[in-house]
Formats: sequence, C-alpha cells, structure tokens
Amino acid sequence: MHRSLCRPLCLVALLIATIAPAQAADLTVTLRGVRAQTGLIKLAVVDSQAGWDGQAPPVQGDGAPPRGDTSIFVFKDLEPGTYAVMVTHDENGNGKLDSNMIGMPTEGYGFSNNPRVMRKPTWDEARFDIGAQDAAIDIALH
Amino acid sequence: MDRRRFLHNLLSGATALAVAPALLRGQDALAGDPARFAAGLRERPWLAGWKSVQSETLGPENVRIEGRLPAGFGGTLYRNGPAWTERAGFRYEHWFDGDGMVHGWRFNGDGTLTHRARMVATPKFTREQEAGRFLYPVAGTSVPDMQPIRNNDDANAANTSVTMINGRLFALCEAGSAFELDPDQLATLGPVTWRHDLAAIPFSAHPLVDRDGSVWNFGSISMMGGNGLVVWHIGRDGTLASADVLETPVPGYLHSFAMTDRHLVFVLIPFRYLDGAGAFFERLRFRQDQPLRIAVVDKHAPAQARWFEADFAAIYHFGDAYERDGRIVLRAVQHLDVEEARSPLKAAMNGDGDVHGGNGPLRELVLDLRRGDARWEETGIAGIEFPVFDARTRSAGPARLYAPVHASASVAPYFNGVGAFDVPRDRRQVHDYGRDVLVEEHLFVPRPSSTRPDDGWLVGTLLDAARGRSGIAVLDAGRVEAGPVAQAWLPYTVPLGFHGHFAAA
Repeated sequence: MHRSLCRPLCLVALLIATIAPAQAADLTVTLRGVRAQTGLIKLAVVDSQAGWDGQAPPVQGDGAPPRGDTSIFVFKDLEPGTYAVMVTHDENGNGKLDSNMIGMPTEGYGFSNNPRVMRKPTWDEARFDIGAQDAAIDIALH
Repeated sequence: MDRRRFLHNLLSGATALAVAPALLRGQDALAGDPARFAAGLRERPWLAGWKSVQSETLGPENVRIEGRLPAGFGGTLYRNGPAWTERAGFRYEHWFDGDGMVHGWRFNGDGTLTHRARMVATPKFTREQEAGRFLYPVAGTSVPDMQPIRNNDDANAANTSVTMINGRLFALCEAGSAFELDPDQLATLGPVTWRHDLAAIPFSAHPLVDRDGSVWNFGSISMMGGNGLVVWHIGRDGTLASADVLETPVPGYLHSFAMTDRHLVFVLIPFRYLDGAGAFFERLRFRQDQPLRIAVVDKHAPAQARWFEADFAAIYHFGDAYERDGRIVLRAVQHLDVEEARSPLKAAMNGDGDVHGGNGPLRELVLDLRRGDARWEETGIAGIEFPVFDARTRSAGPARLYAPVHASASVAPYFNGVGAFDVPRDRRQVHDYGRDVLVEEHLFVPRPSSTRPDDGWLVGTLLDAARGRSGIAVLDAGRVEAGPVAQAWLPYTVPLGFHGHFAAA
C-alpha cells in the first residue's frame, strides 16, 4: 500500500524536478524613491549584453504613471536565465529622459542590483539570475 | 564639449565612462571624530565657529542694538556657511563640506535686530536628515556607504554664499544650482533652472553685479563631463540673458572671478587629479610648477577668451579689478601654503588649535593687453581674506578694499579685526575687535542718498569666543578705525560662515 502510493508521487516529484528549469517565472520589480508624481515610469527587461547595449530588443517592457514614492511592476513568464532591468522616469512626459547641456540626467533612473556608479552600469554589474522560482528585486531610483 | 555623453551612454550602453568622478566619488572613511572635536571645543571655545548645528532653524531672536545705527542704514544681512557637519558619530573634516545654513540679520528700524537662520533644504540635506546619517558625496571628505546620485545637484550643499536678484534670494555653491529661498522666512523654494538645458549646471558663489544691474557668474563643468566654464549673464529682472561655454585649454580650479566694465577675468589654477577614490579636495593637487592660465573675456563675446599666463598662485578671492592704459589690474589674496589652500582651517574642523595659513599676501595681477603678458606685483598687505569694495568705484582705477585682518594677538588663529586699505597711498585703517573675537566678511553698504564711492558703511558678523555669543557690527566705512557705531549680540553662537549679501530696506 505504502509502496504503491509512493511510486506515482515520487514519479511526479521527479518529473517536476526535471522540467522545472524550463518553466517560466514571474519577476516582481519594486521601485523605491520615485521623486516626482508626474510623467511615466518606463522599465525594460533585457537578457543579454546586446539587449543591455540597445542592440537587441528587450524581452519585456512596461510603463505606468507613478503612484507614490514606490511602484511595483510584475513581468510574467520569464524563462530561467540571466536578466537586467533598466528604469527611467520621464518626469515631464516629453518621451525621453531629459539631460542638461553636458549630458547629466535631470530625471530619475535606476538599474537592477543598484550599482553604486555614476554612469550607466555594465551588463555584468546589473545582471542577475532567474531560476524556476518567482523572483523579486528592489531598484532605487536616483 | 561632449554633449549628452551621459545620456548617450545611459541608453546605448557604452561602459565605464565616469561622468563626474570629481564630485561624486569617495569610499574610504577618513573623517574627523565628533568626540575629538567636542574635547577640543572644551579647551578652545573659539572652535564654536566650527561646531555643527543640530537643528534646522535658529531663532527668530530679537535683540537690542547697542550704539546708534546711522540714519539711512536699514535692511537685512543675509549670510551663508557650512553649518551641519556631524551625523551619526561621523564628522566632516573639510570646512567646505557642511550643509548650508542661511542667516538673516534684520535691522528692524526700531533699535532692535532679529536674527533667524534656516538650513537650506537641498535634496542632500533633506534625505540625510531623514536617514539620520550622511549619504552623499561632499567636497573634501570621503563618506562611508555613499548612495548613488542623479547628478551633481544631489550632492549640492548650497553652503557658500547668498545673493539677491530682483528681490529673489538665492543660496549659492560652486557645486551646482542656485537654490531660491523665501527672503522673509528663509524657507527653500527649490533649485533654479535658468533654462531647461541648463538644469544642475553650476552657478558659483561669487556673482558680480554690472553697472546696469545685470549679474555675471560662471560654473565650472570640467569635472562633470564638459570642458571649461559656463559663463552666466542674468538680467537685472532675474531672467537669463545668456549662457555661453568658454572652453579652457587645461583643467583649472577657480572659486571666484573679477571684472572690469569691459572684461570678465577668469584665473585658472592648475591642478592634477589623483587616481583612485576620494573626495574632490582629497584628490586635487595644485601644480606649483605650472603657470596660471588667465582668460580675459569681452563681455560681448563670452565664449571667447584671450589667454594669459602668470606665475602660480593659489587664490580663492579677488578684490576689485580695474582697466587703465591698456592694462587690467586684479587684486587677489594669495594662499602661500598650497596644502592649507586645499583644506583651509582643517585643524579647526578636527578640533585642533594648530591651524596653519591665513597670512597670505594681497597681490596685484597685472595683465598687459598690448604685450599679452602678465605679472604679479606686491602690495605690502598680508593677513587678510574675504576682501570687498564699493561696486560704485569707477573701474578705471583701484578701489579701496575692506577685509577682515589679523589685527593683533588673538586667541583664535583667525581674523580679529577689520581693515580698510588704500593700496596706492599705502594707507590702512584697522579696527581691532580684541583677542577673543573672530571676525567674518564685512560687506560695504552704500549710503542711499550718495553716489560718491566709499560713502557708506561696513556690516559684518563676529563670534565672541570668550562670551559665547555671535554678533553683528556696523561701521562707518570712512572711519573704520573708530570701530562699530552700532553692534548687536545674540545669546548664542552660530558657526562661522563665508559670504553674504546686504539687502537694503
């Protein structure tokens, strides 16, 4: 009795363990430090150096107006792999991230892993792995 | 100039281009120790000038004016200076680091004076106040666990000076934007964007007012990804008249500038910038083996300069400049010890009495426009700083200078007198406030009914270390040696500041 029950259950468990890496996961991105309550917050999820460099399209993207100083975005069905997220906040809604005459950004931005660099981080600095489980990251806008 | 480099990078993904390493980096904690400073303060009460404030506001405090204010004198002296220097057991060790506090010393017209002060609510101050610790880069100290910043204005301490244009009050700092303040309550209205593409471009702490009431200023963009200086011209109505980029041949540090009726003069002090981490003044090394590069700029063409070279000198402040017989002459206070120049009064910030420097000479930089050369000449005056003059002086000849001075033996290694200097006649008048008094910038206030240069008063602030009080004095500019005609003292001390602006009533 015991043995006969165990058999199919063990099989199912084995099956799940085997196919899990091929299953998709959700990524929840919590943005903190949203300074302005205007315009549009835009996120891009990329899965390669080329995507990070703007030479391949993002695997997913999303955008929404700010709601308070924290915003949450969920990206569904991401295959296991390596990803990075970049965020810009088009505060005045003119369709771009504004900068001044010497190229200093004057609207908000942030990156996965929150690298402490005063430039665009590298792919290696921003990338992180997603496995079978749903994942959640925090990004501080600055 | 490399326009939009950061943005381009942000979007295209090119790597490893540090945009603003100067103002924005630093890792190792090398800070001063609050306990050590507190111990020093118990031994040396004059260190109250470098003591951190711990509240966002001071006052309003009404005090009686001693003596008699001159008829026609009235208004508010606004002053700014680094004031908040300690948080969570961490103390800045560079005098230029503290967050700015703006003071209003208002002469009420009824024999009383009201002092009030308020921290400038910069993004930096506001967020650090909330966090209870320092979070962002500063000019001269590496802060542990520094947070990323959007741009230089996130690290703007707004702590150096104030000016007023068309009734609007601005707190100034060479690191970034002017912050507009409410002139009555000193509440912060926010950073000023003179034009959209000029957001966060530095608007330095020593603007100069032209004969027509318009205002000239500069902002150095060399450490922020640009090359050279932005030359600002603000109309007397407070709107932008022009902003031009003056490219510079080498990196050069400058804190202030000088001008004549026709020309702006920018004196670039050569430096090199050490590799690695650290705050701006930790990594900067003045290059005494290199000449000064001096830009003479026609006010009608601010993007172009005629360049001169002169022997090295470390300078923060200029007096007047005048133009005569094909020559421009600038007065400058030289800091002889370049290490002291890199961190003035560093020992005081650390709670020590062993302060060096402060005895540098007043010199004249003579630019020969016909021959294209420049040379230094001596004035015989030394031991002054923060020189001012009556801006009504014709710019065809030298102005009379007014400045804090080492008047006699003093308890603190700081100025304890104020002087008036007539350089060509080798005449000086000095008032000695006494051994216990620290003397700050004294501004010239013109007598309203008069157009005669130097007809007016001096107004300046004091710190009486022996009696634990800060105060303000008014002197007749023509009789400086007679001392204050009126004086008022607060029941508390405030940190020493740098520069101010007098708004006549």
